[in-house]
Amino acid sequence: MSQEIILEVKDINKSFFGVQVLHKVNLEVRKGEVHALMGENGAGKSTLIKIITGAYTKDEGKIFWKGKEVEMNSLKDCQALGMACIYQELSVIPALSVAQNIYLGREPKRGKTGLIHYKKMNQMAQELIDKYEFPLKATDMVDSLSIGLRQLVEILKGLSSNSQLLIMDEPTASLSAKEASILFQIIDSLRKQEVSIIYISHRLEEVYRLSDRLTILRDGRNAAVLEREEIRPKEVIQTMIGKVVDESAGSKKTLTQNTKEAALKVEGLTRKGFFEKVSFEVRRGEILGFGGLIGAGRTEVMRCLYGADKYQSGKIWIEGKEYIPTSPKKSIAFGFGFVPEDRRGQGFIPLLSMNRNMALTNYDIIKQMAFSISSKEEVDMCEKMIKKMDIRPADPQKQVGLMSGGNQQKVVIGKWLVRNLKILIVDEPTAGIDVGAKDEIYHILEELAAKGVVVILVSSDLQELVRVSHRILVMRKGKIVKELAEGTITQADILEAASGIESQEEVAG
Amino acid sequence: MKKKFSMEKYSRILILLLFIIVLTIIRPKSFPTVNNISNVLWSISVVGILVSGSIFVMLLGGIDLSVGSLMGLSAVVTVLTIRNNNYSNKGVILGIALALLVGIAAGALHGFFVITFHVPAFLVTFATQSIFLGISMVLTNNKILSCLEPKLFTNIGLGRIGPFTFPIYFMIIIALFSFFVLNKTVLGRHIYAVGGNQEASRISGISVKKITMISYIISSLTAAVGGIVLASMTQQGMASTGVGYDTEVITAAVIGGVSLAGGSGTIQGAIIGAMFVGLLKNGMNLMNVPSTNQGLVKGLVIICAVALDIMQKKEKVGGNV
Ligand SMILES: Nc1ncnc2c1ncn2[C@@H]1O[C@H](COP(=O)(O)OP(=O)(O)OP(=O)(O)O)[C@@H](O)[C@H]1O
Ligand SMILES: [Mg+2]
Repeated sequence: MSQEIILEVKDINKSFFGVQVLHKVNLEVRKGEVHALMGENGAGKSTLIKIITGAYTKDEGKIFWKGKEVEMNSLKDCQALGMACIYQELSVIPALSVAQNIYLGREPKRGKTGLIHYKKMNQMAQELIDKYEFPLKATDMVDSLSIGLRQLVEILKGLSSNSQLLIMDEPTASLSAKEASILFQIIDSLRKQEVSIIYISHRLEEVYRLSDRLTILRDGRNAAVLEREEIRPKEVIQTMIGKVVDESAGSKKTLTQNTKEAALKVEGLTRKGFFEKVSFEVRRGEILGFGGLIGAGRTEVMRCLYGADKYQSGKIWIEGKEYIPTSPKKSIAFGFGFVPEDRRGQGFIPLLSMNRNMALTNYDIIKQMAFSISSKEEVDMCEKMIKKMDIRPADPQKQVGLMSGGNQQKVVIGKWLVRNLKILIVDEPTAGIDVGAKDEIYHILEELAAKGVVVILVSSDLQELVRVSHRILVMRKGKIVKELAEGTITQADILEAASGIESQEEVAG
Repeated sequence: MKKKFSMEKYSRILILLLFIIVLTIIRPKSFPTVNNISNVLWSISVVGILVSGSIFVMLLGGIDLSVGSLMGLSAVVTVLTIRNNNYSNKGVILGIALALLVGIAAGALHGFFVITFHVPAFLVTFATQSIFLGISMVLTNNKILSCLEPKLFTNIGLGRIGPFTFPIYFMIIIALFSFFVLNKTVLGRHIYAVGGNQEASRISGISVKKITMISYIISSLTAAVGGIVLASMTQQGMASTGVGYDTEVITAAVIGGVSLAGGSGTIQGAIIGAMFVGLLKNGMNLMNVPSTNQGLVKGLVIICAVALDIMQKKEKVGGNV
């Protein structure tokens, strides 16, 4: 790694509606380094990135590219300089194919005609996909892909441009361990090719593993810049969130069987093309974890259980009675809560305020007089959740679409916590959430379980899975392939079962 | 933070006031008279009634192109029933009831197609536009049916309380009703949610189908009311009575800041939009702009309104991602 500085950002100020979110922020990226950008939810990381890439305009400050001052006004400017960005909220276009998305705006043309050479484009895209062994097809339509796969498309889009600086805003938020490790290999090889990378992630092991240097933002201000040798996890967390949390828990754990009666029982659940004969039980007060790779069918099982999708066969019993989930509406009335994996697409209404979003599932418990909703209760409920989840900004009228990614996620989770739940299904609940808040959410899940709520956790974050679950089921290719219920388990156990390295052993159920 | 918000909120009213002041200055004799103002209000009352219902569909991201021809059908049904009942009061009540039923049925039909076959709203209502017109033509033999009696009927459009005619009060009542539903009730909350993100709404336990159905029915119901009022104002039933109103409603809504993509917009805005359109027409008439050119002006105003809106929104997020 050379000491040459490729990008320098100086004294950036930025306000939204008169609220300043960046205060004289500096950032310096050397040629060929992986530079991590860290900070809690709402610290201003994504905003800084968007200013660098010209998606937002800065109020004040300067940007230097290889020592020359530049004005960034659009993505075109970025591409021209040799910068590419993988955005947190995914900029892929659902109505286009994978290949079309990857080469958007840079499509190979047929000679001088200006017509797109589709065959060549698909070929190029497929080569790229095969090179990294991603489970994608160049001709797949993006709207048919799960959120994790869309993230892979977004990554390919960034990689395909041969940039000198690649910015990644939480690229692994929806990826499972296998895809993430491919990404790390890619990053390592890019580093060797002297490509600089700005890396944002709330998964700290990733950051420690990858980064050559890191910059920490706190409340929109520079808090520290650390060289690799200076990176000490405890201090990093302390600087970031102002308190210490133990994030080392979750590498392994000893499980013991919960012998209570099954509260939820699923038998032979099948949705053709997605999963087959899935059977499991969850006991009252238990947190059941689901591990697996992208496309293993975990999300699909949960959606069927909740009534969001239809299944072909199988039976579900809750507290001894058969339950047929026909719609989310029915399930919510019954006592379900559901945090979907795709936050942006399914989790919230971007145009509506935080309090309207939180109230959405709760109008059955908000007071109404002559059909007229008590807006005071609406706001009160929201304020209670803002406190409980430490959501920022603490403004119930804030439009959720304009909040930071992690805070949006807190809104999505928060709306269920005011209800009397029987079963809570959370699919990637901490995607994009900072270490401090993650800890809070784990406590909340544990509290709920202690109160007797059945909690089902789907997570690609192995550390989280091991740390939070009382028992873990691993799915692969639409089937449950392993149960980890007793004894000491490690992240590696889950990974092995998920990728099918271990001898295939089916769990009888 | 709050300041900028309210600036945006009131910018439309300010523009409207500005417009009124300008008209008063350039046409001091003819514009600010009780007669003229009451006339303007009378002319926008129908659009106001219509937009109070159409806004439900627009908030869902749909559009109702059948409003105008449904008005015609409603007018024809009302007048025919009255005539067939010898211009009796009973005939009026029966006629109104029938017209409203037609409205509900039409809305249910739209809702059904949109929900069941996922046909885009503009296609469904584009088709029913000609169907309704066709039915009216068959019913009337494509003739104008006049209806000058009884008082119970003619008063709907022409009766007065104080300086203002009844339709203005109807508009106010219906707009207030819309305001209540959209701002105070669970139904209203759900409509904004579904319009903003349908899938997230479904996952949150909202019955998207039910909300869609209700919205289309409300839209058609106000079209039927508009038809009845218009029939009474003109004292006749004619298949083509409502022609042009569909675009006028959309114009009012768009100028009033209702997003055709769904999820945002207010009834206050839409009514202000209707007033703006009404005043624009009135102003052009007072300034003797030939009616051949009026469409051009209206189009330009729409484009400006939309551009202004987009610029304001862009400012708000500070970018365009
Ligand atoms: N377009 C916008 N309009 C208004 N406020 C915004 C906008 N974008 C960001 N903000 C605010 O700026 C602050 C910083 O947000 P940003 O998205 O940069 O945080 P972040 O560090 O990326 O957080 P996270 O880890 O949760 O993704 C937040 O308080 C957010 O509410
Ligand atoms: Mg962010």
